[in-house]
This record gives sequence, structure tokens and C-alpha cells, in this order.
Amino acid sequence: MVDFARVQKELQECNRDFEVSGIKVMPKSDANLAHLLGTIPGPLGTPYEGGSFKIDITLPDGYPFEPPKMQFATKVWHPNISSQSGAICLDILKDQWSPALTLKTALLSVQALLSAPEPDDPQDAVVAQQYLRDYPTFMGTARYWTEAFAMTSSLGVEDKVLKLVEMGFPEALVRSTLVSVDGDENMALEKLCSG
Amino acid sequence: MQQQSAIQAEEAEKIPFVGDKEPLSSLAVEYKSGNAILLEKIKVLIKQYAAIRRTRGDGNCFFRSFMFAYLEHILESQDRAEADRITVSVEQCRKTLLSLGYAEFTFEDFFALFLEQLENVFQGSEGSISHDELVQRSRDQSLSDYVVMFFRFVASGEIRKRSEFYEPFIQGLTNTSVEQFCKSMVEPMGEESDHVHITALSEALGVPIRVVYLDRSSCDNGNVIVNHHDFIPSTKGDLTYGNVRGSETLKPFITMLYRPGHYDILYPK
Repeated sequence: MVDFARVQKELQECNRDFEVSGIKVMPKSDANLAHLLGTIPGPLGTPYEGGSFKIDITLPDGYPFEPPKMQFATKVWHPNISSQSGAICLDILKDQWSPALTLKTALLSVQALLSAPEPDDPQDAVVAQQYLRDYPTFMGTARYWTEAFAMTSSLGVEDKVLKLVEMGFPEALVRSTLVSVDGDENMALEKLCSG
Repeated sequence: MQQQSAIQAEEAEKIPFVGDKEPLSSLAVEYKSGNAILLEKIKVLIKQYAAIRRTRGDGNCFFRSFMFAYLEHILESQDRAEADRITVSVEQCRKTLLSLGYAEFTFEDFFALFLEQLENVFQGSEGSISHDELVQRSRDQSLSDYVVMFFRFVASGEIRKRSEFYEPFIQGLTNTSVEQFCKSMVEPMGEESDHVHITALSEALGVPIRVVYLDRSSCDNGNVIVNHHDFIPSTKGDLTYGNVRGSETLKPFITMLYRPGHYDILYPK
């Protein structure tokens, strides 16, 4: 059984200093605390700057003894993150996990990974090759992906509603879907299409 | 690498977290066609020790052995003074972790669970448990792992708090910082213990520990001696409750058998 009492406390603690860290964790639905959505800001001085990255979090039954499962929901171009699935290669999400860590410290480590890629231990071989062999192109692609996929949230809510309604979805459903994915336009569209 | 650890995990699961008490002769059977020095050493051990209790080789064996041996000692001795003393130490550890910046919710459940077990081994109250129940609890993953993790928190807090003291030992083991050592070799479950972990746990909780070494080392003159090392907490803790312990030398009431890579519990005659 997931220790939900602890998860509740983690959510409170993490969201309390959102103003400082920019890191947020929300339940995907009120009914189930085992499925969460994290948000991290792209670190300054990196091609991810200005982006807001969503991370799908699933808590296994053994949490906090077992590490949380995390993967990027926002597409990102980085040697240690799969450009296809969003899977993350990070030791603390595997054998270096400890119950002394929290969702917030894990997200901080993911954010630090964005600042310090480790191309010699890649998750995405294509990205890692590009990083090592053609750094300028890597930087350009990473920046382009950030602008294309991680910065759409800068649109106002009404703009997003309008855009999605124009695509033919009912307004009430668009609004509730947007709320459920924390305002992420791309994820809302995905959910609307699959729903 | 992954396959290797999977095999190890599978092997480890064949024995419970904490086994039954076995006569020490079972050790001789295990090595019967083995190294001559080891067999000689086992003969020496059999003279001094009556029994062994094996623990699962899952990387937590030191902490798990300590858990069982300590709680068993309290259950058998009903030593309220020792329980009161360690409770003060535990409270100190809690303060240490807070001062190091750990969020309380990350460790409070582990602390509470240990203190609950400590209380439960005293007889005559509603929550009291028998020796059999202590064995059962030690084999119950949800309980046993929580107590192991409690000790990991205690050891990590102690090492970080007195990092200048532990740094040279850590440097001798690995080429990492104190911070990194705690993060990657103390706090994750399944990371094996070394003398740094043992010293830290013994110091932080004020509990002396004897470790008996069963390895192939031998003396030049042909005499077989089984080495042991006593981890005796320094007097720093005694300042707080010196009247309880005075200046007498602490004698370990917990003995462990170390074979390269693994700790079990030993019972003196």
C-alpha cells in the first residue's frame, strides 16, 4: 500500500514554496493520490529556460520504499530523457532511491539533470550522439522543442479554451479537461482526443 | 549487472529477513569441505559462542541484525534504564535530522515505529509482544524495513552532523564527499554497511557493538586467532546522562559475526 498520509504531507510541503522553487505536484484526480502530475521550470541559462515541463508521476505500492515512477509528459530534447516516451535515466529514480527523498527532491534532481546532461550514460542514443558530435544543432533542437512544447502554457486560459472549442470540442468539457491537466493545452488536446 | 543483482535477490529471498537460532555447529557443517583456516577459526568460535542467527543477505543485514539483537536484548533483560537512555538518544537524532534540514515527514514514521517496537518488548502492557512475535515482526517486511530505514536515518544524520570526524574514513573507502556517501551508500535501502555505518550507529544511539571477523587471515606463527573489534561509543553522549553510565567501560551486549560481505547475529555462551 502506498503511504497516502505521507503523500498528502509531501504535496503540502512541495506546493508551499512554489513561489520560490517553481516546482509543483498535483493529483491527477482527487480520487487517486497514486497518480500525480509534477511541473518543473526549465533551468535558467539552458535551452530549457522559460519552459514549463510536466512530469507524469505514478507511485508504486511500495512507496516510499520503492521510487516514484516519473516520466516527462512534455516532449523534451535531452540525452538522458527519451524523446519518444519521456522516460528518464536518473539514478535516484532507480537503485539510488531512498525513503529519505521526496517527490520534491526527486523533481529537483530531474531539474538539475536538465542543467547537466550526462551524454555518456544516455537514455536517448540519438540525442546523446547529437550532443557529443554536433553540439550547436543539439542546442538548437533542444531550444526549438522547448518553445514548441513547453511554452504553450503561456497562453491565457481563455485563449486555450477558444482554440480547443474551435477544434470542435464542447466548451464545458474543454474547461474541465484543462483544469484536470493543470492548464496544459497539449495534454488537454490529447485527453480530449482519446476521451 | 542487472541480471547479477536479480540472481542475488532471488538467492536472498530463500532465507527470512531474520532466521531461527541455530547451534554454531551449523557453521562448521557449512564449511566442512572448505578452507582449513576457516575451519580452525570455527573451532575457536564454538568454544566461545553458542549459537548463530542468520539474516538475509539483502544489503540490510547489518541494520537488520542490529534491530533484532537490540530488541531481543531489551525483551530478555527488561532493562527499562537502557530503553529510557536510548529514547533520549533517539530524540537527539530527531533533532539532528531537523537541524540538517530533513523534512520531518520523511523520517517521523520510521522513528515512531522503532519507539513503538521498543515499548512493545516490555512485558505487562496491552501492546506487549512475546519473543516469537518479535521474530515474526522482524520477518514482516512492512515492519522490518521501516526499522532498518530508521537506523539508516540515524546513521546518516550522525555522519552528516560530525562530517569532519567521518570524512577521513569515508575518503579511505570511496572517493566521494560525506554528503554523497550518505546519499548513495547510507540512505538507500540495500546498500551494504561498512565500519563507517557501524561506528555512526553505535555513536548516535550510544550502543556498543562487537563484531567478530571470520575470514581467511592468519597469523605468521601458525596460531589461529579469531579477531574481533568492539565499537564503543565515545563519551560525548555521556555528558547528557553521565550519572547513568559513569566512567565504566561499556561492554557490548550485541555481537555480530562478519564474513566478507555479510553480518549475522552471534550468541555468546
